[in-house]
Amino acid sequence: MRFGEVEAVAGIDVQAYAGQATALLGRNGAGKSTTMRVLAGVVPPTEGLVTVAGHDIRTETLAVKQLTGYCPDVGGLVPRATPWEHLQLSARLRRMTDWEERGRDLLERFELGDVMNRVTGGFSHGMGRRLSVVLAAMHEPRVLLLDEPFDGVDPIGVEATFDVIADARARGATILLSTHLRDLAIQACGSVLVMRGGARVAAVDAEAMTGEEGARAYRALLD
Amino acid sequence: MPTALSSTETPTSNGARGRVAAARRAVEDVAILFRFRAQAVRRRHLTRGLVGSFVLVTLAIAIVPAFLPGAQGAGKAFDIFLLMPSAMAGILALNVASAIASGGGRELISRDQAAPYPISPTTDHLGALVLAPLNIAWMIQAWILLGAMAYSFGPTNLFQAQVVILLWLVFATTLGQVVAWTMESVRRGPFGIGISRGLLVCLGLAAGVVQLTGHTTDLLDQIPTLWFFQGAVGGWGLRWWVALVVLLVGSTTAVAAGAVPTHLAARRMPRDEARMETDQHEPRPVPRTVLGLLIRADRASVWRSVPMRRGVLVLAIGPGLVAVFGNLPWSSMTILPGLVASGGALLFGVNAWCLDGRGALWRENLPVPASALFDARAWVLTEFLAAASLITIGIGALRAGLPDGVELSALVCTLLVVLLQVVGASMRWSLAHPYPVDLRSARATPAPPAAMVGYSARLAVSTTFTSLIFSACAKVPDWRLSVILAIPCLLWSGVRLARTARRWQDPVARALVITTTAA
Repeated sequence: MRFGEVEAVAGIDVQAYAGQATALLGRNGAGKSTTMRVLAGVVPPTEGLVTVAGHDIRTETLAVKQLTGYCPDVGGLVPRATPWEHLQLSARLRRMTDWEERGRDLLERFELGDVMNRVTGGFSHGMGRRLSVVLAAMHEPRVLLLDEPFDGVDPIGVEATFDVIADARARGATILLSTHLRDLAIQACGSVLVMRGGARVAAVDAEAMTGEEGARAYRALLD
Repeated sequence: MPTALSSTETPTSNGARGRVAAARRAVEDVAILFRFRAQAVRRRHLTRGLVGSFVLVTLAIAIVPAFLPGAQGAGKAFDIFLLMPSAMAGILALNVASAIASGGGRELISRDQAAPYPISPTTDHLGALVLAPLNIAWMIQAWILLGAMAYSFGPTNLFQAQVVILLWLVFATTLGQVVAWTMESVRRGPFGIGISRGLLVCLGLAAGVVQLTGHTTDLLDQIPTLWFFQGAVGGWGLRWWVALVVLLVGSTTAVAAGAVPTHLAARRMPRDEARMETDQHEPRPVPRTVLGLLIRADRASVWRSVPMRRGVLVLAIGPGLVAVFGNLPWSSMTILPGLVASGGALLFGVNAWCLDGRGALWRENLPVPASALFDARAWVLTEFLAAASLITIGIGALRAGLPDGVELSALVCTLLVVLLQVVGASMRWSLAHPYPVDLRSARATPAPPAAMVGYSARLAVSTTFTSLIFSACAKVPDWRLSVILAIPCLLWSGVRLARTARRWQDPVARALVITTTAA
């Protein structure tokens, strides 16, 4: 994946499986968000093959967008729309029916029920992150892409995000979670991919990253 | 820009010496910020060329009309000469209105970007003053005044006259800024929104009463600009020197005085923006079509934004009132749609994809054809510009009476052609040059100042040219001429818009826009 002269992601080989949560770990600028944007169909790959739930991202972009739920790394909210209007837009474009109850339930779980009719421009960073996770999960996507969902989020929001990930795993969805917070990643995911300089440098079970030993191994992979 | 005093200001803000030091620091900060913004200019050679062209054009406009046939004569030149004091007052009124609408003028650096730095409200005030002339509306006003002065006054003592006119422009800009910051501090205070709206209504009513009772000419004869104008045309006399000193002292005082309401406003919460950002909107039924839903979402993004609401109000009402007070005939009314549509596009249209802000990444993941997104955005921009233009024409019609068939045909054709022209250009630029802008502040613009000058100049040239052609058509006694001329114009603009729509469907081009606006 190139942006002009900059090669953001190269030689990455990622396989994530149904019913599993995989963490993408790495330092800032490692290429995690670019990878997520490509998988979400937001940025087209300049080279290579990317398939999401069996669909080629280049030729079947709309099908990929139908199947994915994406929480972007920055913002992710239209500033002058309310949370409910975001949900309405997503539900209508995905041809969902009877989604209102699930939408309300998710907003309540993320403690956003009392601001569902307020424009998001005045939301705090953490509120925005929580709503982005709600929007990604609302339509129960087959592939859930969460980019930095814990960034600036309070413990209740973190727990609610864990629940969303657990629900998605239980119904057989594939989850990719991009973060630089190792502790939270290994709590939520079964496997870990470590990226550095736009390339994958390790793919291990989450257990291998736990404790002091895991922290040392992670540090070694980052440098 | 800052919403409260910086902690670094406190030690220097006590006593006269402290105030002088703070003012000096503010001036230095403006230079630093200006250089910082200048570094981001993409095509510097083009910018230098534009600056050079601006100086040359200004000099040409200030001198050449004095040597044209009919200059300083008894006919049209004399009529213009008599109108000059009113024109000077009009420039002052326009500067005040535009500065109030933009909440104290434009930002040298946006509020969010400035937040981590110790930038004082004085710097903010001075920065807005520096940016004020970087606006095609300001430039056109200045050029009209200088050109009218040269043509009506002739070459004798022209230098002295133009010096006074230039100083008047500076004075009008600085005074406009003081009034704007004062209004902004009132608006941010207790009952501020009610007070400012009440003042606006009172002003409108007073203007209406003056007009309806036929006292407009009496009022214009008594405005103090006449004194400055007499000073301008008096050659090297005492009055010229007095006018010069009064304007210099007045401008300097206004620059210094502007810091006071700016500091007051900075200590208060921007109520309009805060209200918009915490507004509640009850859910409405989902529209039946996807396009309808996208249009509704985009429409909400436009009408819930403070700069767009204020801007469109000024744009729609201002030229309409000028048409009423100037007794503009229907044949000349064709100039209005182009003016209003160009101004409206500069509120958000030239960077139309910035409406989604950081939500652009999420929206792009929604399963909807790219063409639907384009159609919705182009439609919302069109209706925004059309609404503003129609309000202006409606106000102008209050005095112009009923148009005949030829005038109506010319006006409708102008409206359609300039709308398509402006929407096409806006969508094209939005795709080619996206900028990350959130349009939260009343002072925000959709692109950096230099880019805005370029956009506004290009829009002004193309729409004015179109308007003048149809204005000429309105004087030809056949309504079909306007229609015949409009068809190729509409086809040309339509083809260009369709080409932009095709480019938008390229995922690479779209990704560049989305990642830039969401940055």
